[in-house]
Amino acid sequence: MKHWLAILIATGCAISLRAQNKINYVEYDLANGIHVILHEEHATPIVAISVLYHVGSKNENPSRTGFAHFFEHLLFEGSENIERGEYSKLVEKNGGTLNANTSQDRTYYYEILPSNQLELGLWLESERMLHAKVENIGIETQRSVVKEEKRQRVDNQPYASFISEMFQRAFPKHPYRWVPIGSMEHLDAAQEKDYVQFYQDFYVPANATLSIAGDIPLEQTKKWIEMYFGSIPSGQAINLYRDQLALSDDAFKIKYGVAKSDVNAKNPKLGTNKAGNQLYAELSARPMVIPRTTKDNDPLKQTIEDTIYDNIQLPAVFMGYKIPDQKHPDAYALEFMNEILSGGNSSRINKNLVEKQQIATYASSFNYGLEDGGMNIFLALAKDMASLGSLKSAFDAQIEVIKNELITEEEYQSVLNKFEKQVIEANSSVAGIAESLADNHVYFGSAARVNQLLDLYRKVTRADIQRVAKTYLNNNARVILYYLPKEK
Amino acid sequence: MKFLLSFVLLGALGLVYGQLDRSIMPKPAPAPQIQIKPTETWTTANGITVILSENHKLPKVSFDLTLGSGATLEGEKAGLSELAGSLVMSGTSNRSKDQLDKEIDFLGASLSASASNVYLSVLTKHLDQGLSLMADVTKNASFPEDEFKRVSDQFRSGMVSLKSEAAGMAGNATVKVNFPQHPYGEVMTFTTLSAISLSDVKEFYRSHYTPQDAYLVIVGDINRVQAEKMINAYFGTWQGPKPVTAEYKDPVKSNGNQVYFVNKPGAVQSVIQVSFPIPMRMGNQDQLAMSVLNDVFGGSGFGTRLMQNLREDKAFTYGCYSGLNNQDLGGWISISGNFRNAVTDSAIQEILNELNRLLSETITTPELELTKAVKNGSFARSLERPQTIARFAYNISKYKFPEDYYRNYLQRLESIDAMELSRMAKTYIKSNNYNIVVVGNESVLDKIKAFDSDGKVTTLDEFGNIKLERTPSNFSTNEILENYLLAVTQSTSLANAQKKIKKVKNVLQRSELRSDKIPFPLQSYSLYTNKGVRADRIEFNGNVAQSKYYDGVSGYEKNMQTGKTVYDELKMKAEMLENALFPELLWLRPENARYLTLIGVEKENNKEYYVLQFSTGPQNESLHYYEKETFLKGKMVKTVLKMEESFSATTEYSDYRSVKGFMFPYQSLLNAGSMTFTQKIDEILVNGKVKVAEFQ
Repeated sequence: MKHWLAILIATGCAISLRAQNKINYVEYDLANGIHVILHEEHATPIVAISVLYHVGSKNENPSRTGFAHFFEHLLFEGSENIERGEYSKLVEKNGGTLNANTSQDRTYYYEILPSNQLELGLWLESERMLHAKVENIGIETQRSVVKEEKRQRVDNQPYASFISEMFQRAFPKHPYRWVPIGSMEHLDAAQEKDYVQFYQDFYVPANATLSIAGDIPLEQTKKWIEMYFGSIPSGQAINLYRDQLALSDDAFKIKYGVAKSDVNAKNPKLGTNKAGNQLYAELSARPMVIPRTTKDNDPLKQTIEDTIYDNIQLPAVFMGYKIPDQKHPDAYALEFMNEILSGGNSSRINKNLVEKQQIATYASSFNYGLEDGGMNIFLALAKDMASLGSLKSAFDAQIEVIKNELITEEEYQSVLNKFEKQVIEANSSVAGIAESLADNHVYFGSAARVNQLLDLYRKVTRADIQRVAKTYLNNNARVILYYLPKEK
Repeated sequence: MKFLLSFVLLGALGLVYGQLDRSIMPKPAPAPQIQIKPTETWTTANGITVILSENHKLPKVSFDLTLGSGATLEGEKAGLSELAGSLVMSGTSNRSKDQLDKEIDFLGASLSASASNVYLSVLTKHLDQGLSLMADVTKNASFPEDEFKRVSDQFRSGMVSLKSEAAGMAGNATVKVNFPQHPYGEVMTFTTLSAISLSDVKEFYRSHYTPQDAYLVIVGDINRVQAEKMINAYFGTWQGPKPVTAEYKDPVKSNGNQVYFVNKPGAVQSVIQVSFPIPMRMGNQDQLAMSVLNDVFGGSGFGTRLMQNLREDKAFTYGCYSGLNNQDLGGWISISGNFRNAVTDSAIQEILNELNRLLSETITTPELELTKAVKNGSFARSLERPQTIARFAYNISKYKFPEDYYRNYLQRLESIDAMELSRMAKTYIKSNNYNIVVVGNESVLDKIKAFDSDGKVTTLDEFGNIKLERTPSNFSTNEILENYLLAVTQSTSLANAQKKIKKVKNVLQRSELRSDKIPFPLQSYSLYTNKGVRADRIEFNGNVAQSKYYDGVSGYEKNMQTGKTVYDELKMKAEMLENALFPELLWLRPENARYLTLIGVEKENNKEYYVLQFSTGPQNESLHYYEKETFLKGKMVKTVLKMEESFSATTEYSDYRSVKGFMFPYQSLLNAGSMTFTQKIDEILVNGKVKVAEFQ
């Protein structure tokens, strides 16, 4: 009897990859440059409100690493109109939840609220964008909290230093050489001028994407957005406004050449001083130039091998290859390749290293794609007395196979089926939809990609997978890290 | 005012540029209706309760099968359920493991199994194939030998790496200290894993995987007719025995604060878990009110007392939370967080302060309002997931929550007031009766001693077992026994010691027993005679509360509550060998050597002891600690098995004084579970005038 699996493959009925469950949305820019994306659905009376600032650890001053993430903590402190410590309480008191996260490339803030509190969420996020307020007491507290976060998530976690160890070797000239949690010495050294500069450089309308999904009245939402976010000064006027709040009369005069009282940045329409009005208009029209980094797709010149001693019990090996940035067309084939190698129990790495040879307790490979470049990482934790050399050889053998032979038709379709389920599941919550729309807009230049993802995977051929394996898994240009237990 | 007015007018016209008064927080729109979509529940002919939550938003379905069997004590095979559960997916009589893995992955589905659960999530179009795989592992798991070996090895490696995982070690310690002799307090170790055989695993599957009393929760893109058809096709012929269940008592903790330490060399933070068991199982009517109290305290979010104090005010931690656990066989509260080494003691102190504050102060209105709002919001958000609605139906059916529990959840929540929360605190939190587990660097050890009610920190290993620092003994069993006899009889040779003991006709001890649980002291009398009589009597206010009599021919115990129990053969033998004036003399006899095991030298509180185990069987074991310098007995730990539960009682001896050439301890500290007694000798009479009849 022919197995149903064989029948499915033969008839091809399992690969009817029509795009299902399209995400509908509208998007537009406000005059000050904020990009707005709105997804309306009424299944549950909740709404997710998010703001993505296109700034991450890669935008940090090399002597202030960890600053973007630290700053994220500080932006929960309060604003001109929200008392210190009230920000999160206002959300929770109104039945909502909130959080934020910082990566190498972005800082992302969100609230999920009952849908009747949409306006509250807009107000809160607009306050954060316009005039967040940070006091010394808050800075000191959050500095300690972030240090505890690092101890908990990195220092006290076995193997957790591997991302940092990998990237500092693979990206010696790019800011990816440090990780978002950064250096605690750098945080200690941070001063007030650093906060002001970071806020003025990156927390500006033209660097923000406002993405909202859920039970919203679309037209009313647009009006509120215009009210709360449209009223934020555009161009360089945003910082004129902030300086007016923060600087002394003298400092303001030196910086702008007019007296503080000459400018009505809060209500420019009501300004009466001609010089002040002119300055405001000029700065509004002058766009902010946001400092950007450049891509680092330079290949490694050679293999770097190092040993790291950590508080661990089982030795481990981590191998990293440089791959292009996530927007590169080869990114899809690379993701495909990793699924073949280590997605699911039937994958090649799991079957070989863990189940057949039994030299690893855990083994996998994954694609760490970022905006300016990325790495393909292989990792395995040694079982019993298995040598790290044997793990490396076992990986090398699998890499050889995928470079030299096409993957089977069955493997190919298996991965496509998996991607289809993943794409469908990614749209199961409004919070997920809001984030996905924002990410696609910022990183890929098109929110529409959420509905095209499956087609993009379908375009990958078996030959592409073999090609990217050959191109990027160069065994003479990789980082190999051996993790060994610290001597006690 | 004028400004505000113009804002309102302009707002109404949609002209809002620059006219917004940001100092005014927006008002909410009318609250949306919260609707819980209906579910359907029915029972199949072979005993499965099916719950269906239809939802066609996404083209996928999940089938979640929870078996009717519950957790049971596994004892020397602790971890059997875990191992068996991990092996269910290791192949079936129809498919090898490789085949099974390939087919699951081909569907892009997830299929997983554990000791009590099988879960499938699949796109609607692959439902048939997905269910055929699910049914196959549920009914036909084959447990191949090589997979048993491989997965056992994986568990072994996992246990090796446990030493580097602070949270894992803390979790083990917390369940062990809160749930002694309870399935929740069992942790797999290298020894228990080795004791599990493949046939144990197969028997586990045979007895636990049965349709009777099982729940099948179906969520997603499927309707009732289709669901019934599928269940009939894939599970209709499934048959099995009655599920395995057992009842266990809720643990009671009343021995004061106990500090447990697990060493993690090189740790930069201490994982602290402060916990205690509560008699509140899933379905308890106090559950909602208690969860409100727990949320005020440290449930979730940034606004709780623990977060505000330990993070936002003191910056001791990235996060500190309190978890309320209500499960089928027991409940507990556990407060946990990671704290840098330097503030480990301060953090414990703050957690204890916050716990005590729950007992001494009423919850304020703003706190209560905030917590209700948070719960209200999270309830509303949870309804986005169709799984939530299915879970509601499951809880109502399985745990007998009222039918309208979730429909009226928000009203119930609203009706909870501060008085109710005070009642919760007083009922469930026992002041300073907490288990404090610290996993961290040895440098913090000294700082945490002070939190233990008797100033002693118990060191645990990574599995939560008491870690004993044992070294081999330089003396043999007999040499230790002889040295002890020389010490208590103050003799220089064994012959002299024996002679001296022979001359003793009787010993009568009068002592006083005190406990902080009993408001008045008890009087205790003990008698030994050279005719073999050993008798005890405990009195309070002149009434006999408890007595014991044994004369070598028969014996019994009397108790005010339970009456008279006559000794059986086993007990007679134990009495004979253990309760003599100096039983060590009997143990020296060659025929008794088989009851003794030399454990080694153990270090405790800077003293070293030779440790001997005396055992006439698993129901009756005791450990005897002889101090290395003096050979006097410092401690005895007796373990008794009663009704399949084991109890251990520790007696610590001190203040040895000489009476007629014999050394007797004048003070003893007895610790049995939740009770602690201090016994102080008032008088010891050797060869005085005694009336045996007074003890009969």
